[in-house]
Amino acid sequence: MPRRRAAFRQDELSHGGSAGRGLGSGEGSKREVPVARLDLEESSADSTFPGNLDHSHHKEISHMAHNTTVPSHHHHPTTSASHSHSHGEGMGDMMMNMTFYFGFKNVELLFSGLVINTAGEMAGAFVAVFLLAMFYEGLKIARESLLRKSQVSIRYNSMPVPGPNGTILMETHKTVGQQMLSFPHLLQTVLHIIQVVISYFLMLIFMTYNGYLCIAVAAGAGTGYFLFSWKKAVVVDITEHCH
Amino acid sequence: MHFIFSNEVVLLFDFWSVHSPAGMALSVVVVLLLAVLYESIKVGKAKLLYQAAVSLSIPTSQLTEETDQDSSGSDSPPVSRTRLRWFFCHFGQSLIHVVQVVIGYFMMLAVMSYNTWIFFGVILGSAVGYYLAYPLLSMV
Repeated sequence: MPRRRAAFRQDELSHGGSAGRGLGSGEGSKREVPVARLDLEESSADSTFPGNLDHSHHKEISHMAHNTTVPSHHHHPTTSASHSHSHGEGMGDMMMNMTFYFGFKNVELLFSGLVINTAGEMAGAFVAVFLLAMFYEGLKIARESLLRKSQVSIRYNSMPVPGPNGTILMETHKTVGQQMLSFPHLLQTVLHIIQVVISYFLMLIFMTYNGYLCIAVAAGAGTGYFLFSWKKAVVVDITEHCH
Repeated sequence: MHFIFSNEVVLLFDFWSVHSPAGMALSVVVVLLLAVLYESIKVGKAKLLYQAAVSLSIPTSQLTEETDQDSSGSDSPPVSRTRLRWFFCHFGQSLIHVVQVVIGYFMMLAVMSYNTWIFFGVILGSAVGYYLAYPLLSMV
């Protein structure tokens, strides 16, 4: 029996090394191996120890050692995140999930107090992220329209340019300006800061690699664009080249 | 966390794991094409908007007005057909916008892999995409 256990562990180590990270980097898989061995001993102590190498053990090992880089058809929730977080600190960024997954267990969202653990919380987070993305699109449109309305001075500069047949044409340039200390400019600046912060929040939310939250960001952006650009689209000045 | 030169990376999805120079070259080409697609979608969206506004022959005086759409005086069939066409056009634009947002985020996540080759691929793809697509913006 001990011999079989040792053989099992050796095979498990090689499989655990290959199942984790998809051979991401050599260092990472080497460091994950002692973690796998530790958990195997814990689990073999209490549960019945089968000699066959079925996939459930492979799943368990890679699941214990690593959050969710198991092939997605298993759809394993990240319930052992407490284990992985305790030895995750030494590996730097390797413990952070770097591929898309669908799950709602122990999902950290932006702040230390916001952790999603149930489906209901995930639904609430989905709605909140959706509304945040919609608000971001609306803020962009609102800033543009505010800018248009606050264009104080429109100056037309005419200057002569050579024409095609040797004639001289007068080309008219339109320049718009805004005073620096005026209220519209200060308001634009404040809204710009809010826009930058929200865009970074959306980027960080997308960086959690959680499939539900990423879909919420994309859907919110699309819905916000649809709702808020409806009127704005009619105001487009055709002579503008990039907007 | 810092940029590394490596032939091994896992990009975005579980199945996209690279561990050979050939696979890395292929991944860089894919990421490059993704960046080119992103830039061309940006230009394409602006051109579609322009063409929609022109083809629906909205007079320029109406273009600069932001008044209500629900004016009761314009319920004649041609106008409602125009508005339906505008609705579909705008819906298509929103879908394109969603695709643009998603591709933009994918490129951000690709750069976040901290692999220098992938980063070069994204930068080069953005450059090539901008170079090819933006002249089309000023073409009428």
